[in-house]
Amino acid sequence: MSETQNLSLELKRMIIETLELEDITPDDIEPDAPLFGEGLGLDSIDALEIGLALQKHYGIKLDAEAEETRQHFTSLNALQALVEQRRVS
Amino acid sequence: MPPPCAPDGFMNFTPLVQRPWLRPSAPVSLPAHWCDNAAILALRQRWLNWLVDQPSGQWLLHQPDPLQFTAALLALWDTGRVAVLPADDRPETLQAIAAELDGQLPATPPSSVQAISAPPVALAAQQIALVLYTSGSTGQPVRLSKRFDQLDSELAVHAALWPLADCAVVAQVSHQHIYGLLAGVLHPLCAGAPFSGRDALYPEVLAARLAEARAAGLAAVVVSSPAPLSRLPTHIDWLAAGSPRRIFSSGAPLQSEHAAQAEQLLQAPVNEIYGSTETGGIAWRQQTQSVVWQPLPGVDWHIDDDALVLHSAFLEQPQLGWRQADRVAARDDGFVLLGRGDRVAKVAGKRVSLEQIEQRLLQLPEVEAVRCVDPGRADGRLGVVVALTAQALPQEHAARRALTERLRAALADQLERVALPRYWRFVEQLPSNAQGKLDRTLIARLFADLDDDRQPRWLGEQWQDAEHCRHSFEVPERLAYLRGHFDSFPLVPGVVMIQWALQTAERSFGALGSFRRLERLKFQSMLRPGMRFQLTLVRKPDAVSFTLESAVGRHCTATARFAPQVEDHA
Repeated sequence: MSETQNLSLELKRMIIETLELEDITPDDIEPDAPLFGEGLGLDSIDALEIGLALQKHYGIKLDAEAEETRQHFTSLNALQALVEQRRVS
Repeated sequence: MPPPCAPDGFMNFTPLVQRPWLRPSAPVSLPAHWCDNAAILALRQRWLNWLVDQPSGQWLLHQPDPLQFTAALLALWDTGRVAVLPADDRPETLQAIAAELDGQLPATPPSSVQAISAPPVALAAQQIALVLYTSGSTGQPVRLSKRFDQLDSELAVHAALWPLADCAVVAQVSHQHIYGLLAGVLHPLCAGAPFSGRDALYPEVLAARLAEARAAGLAAVVVSSPAPLSRLPTHIDWLAAGSPRRIFSSGAPLQSEHAAQAEQLLQAPVNEIYGSTETGGIAWRQQTQSVVWQPLPGVDWHIDDDALVLHSAFLEQPQLGWRQADRVAARDDGFVLLGRGDRVAKVAGKRVSLEQIEQRLLQLPEVEAVRCVDPGRADGRLGVVVALTAQALPQEHAARRALTERLRAALADQLERVALPRYWRFVEQLPSNAQGKLDRTLIARLFADLDDDRQPRWLGEQWQDAEHCRHSFEVPERLAYLRGHFDSFPLVPGVVMIQWALQTAERSFGALGSFRRLERLKFQSMLRPGMRFQLTLVRKPDAVSFTLESAVGRHCTATARFAPQVEDHA
């Protein structure tokens, strides 16, 4: 399995574990599908939780420019790009 | 000649009826995304110009941006109109209240050729300022009017207890609700204090706003709620950003460890305000000092049959009194909250009617019975126990996922997203105790797998007689035993099936004695995550036979033999 695929699976598991999604398996998360609203159906409280998890797992500190930063949460691919670019550990 | 008294925060307070927004505000060096009177008035003027040939009356206002919101609100008030604030902007919500409206403000003021001068209307204390909506216990929206005198009475209490002199206010909650509106917008407006013009829900944004306030020489006041306060990250250098003077929390009680952690991280007191849309503020506390709620000045209260009964100038009808749905007990010179007396839960500070969720789900043909519960988890999300017709019970992952998506979609036209239940338990019939009730113990058992990832998800049991029973389960997707070994094709190890069978046997029949051996052990097919299965148990002298099977067939059968009970050799 390539490093990219590994990270993708790792992030899917992080989302599922963090948000205690009972009916979602990594295979159910489409890389391009929206995580919020339609798609996976996450909400603003979930966004707070994902922010905490990114720090815990990857040492990523998000910026204050919320609009820009939370754009990285739009899909799994976007989240993965953020982690690849900003991970500390 | 002595200098005039330096105005303190309270002296600076001007009630809404005197239109404090017309006062010039002191110049401060804050970034442009903060709201001050000059910015608000400029935008308000554009609304005034546009509204001049629009109908009067009640106007819908839903605007997430605080600056846009405030400018539009003041334009409505300054032209004698009433602002109607829906709790959210889902089309279903807006449609439900559209009939009561005279107009709906567009997102931004349309350009207008006219330019009208100073607003002609004076504000009267008895005039209706706002219409708000909240959820009643059946989920039907409850409509509430607020007059200017109600708002001003409460704002004066805020000004006396928590003056905003030399402060800048940062809100993490929406101004579409009464608490966010009073504490986050109207109090700063009346005190001439700047307030953040953008959403500061996220902690990184909050830290930036604290730093901006500090750089401008102002003390920050944070208007927050349990959802963001319980999720404050420790990695942000909060002290470098600048400690606020005070943090408010409202919407639901804050857990004591979250109150303590927020105080420790931000080095500022957390003042919780207890209230409701109907009553406005009722009481407050700083939980790290005392858990007892202190009634706000001007709130008369007594306890009647565990319920709080109030009289205050913040009520729509102060002389009538108001009976709150929360159960309380007197403690010291205040009270403690004992939980709600009705079937309403708070999710992310929002009222959610459990009955409404149940009624909506019961309309679906495959649903036979429903209980919506608050499983009492740290995330505050709701759970539902749904009894389904036999054909509708999901037997594997894809079916369960499709079903929960369909049920969530059925609720989505009535509920905000955060209110949608997250934890679903599909049963043949609602489990019940000896008294026929789905009690707390059973609810805890139905959701126990959330806190113990080694357990199967228990979904009920049926007894044929004292020796024969059948339990229903699902294999949780997040089962610990699935991790690591079988990534590409996860399945439940045989030894785990045996362990589950023996644990359940002990729970069903009591102590079984010391285990000797397994006889006639057979593994027949694979048990995979998401699958629903039945465990049939038969108690025999010194043995238990079990069969674990699902819609695809048998997975495991065996007889477990135990040492003869000690009484035998007396």
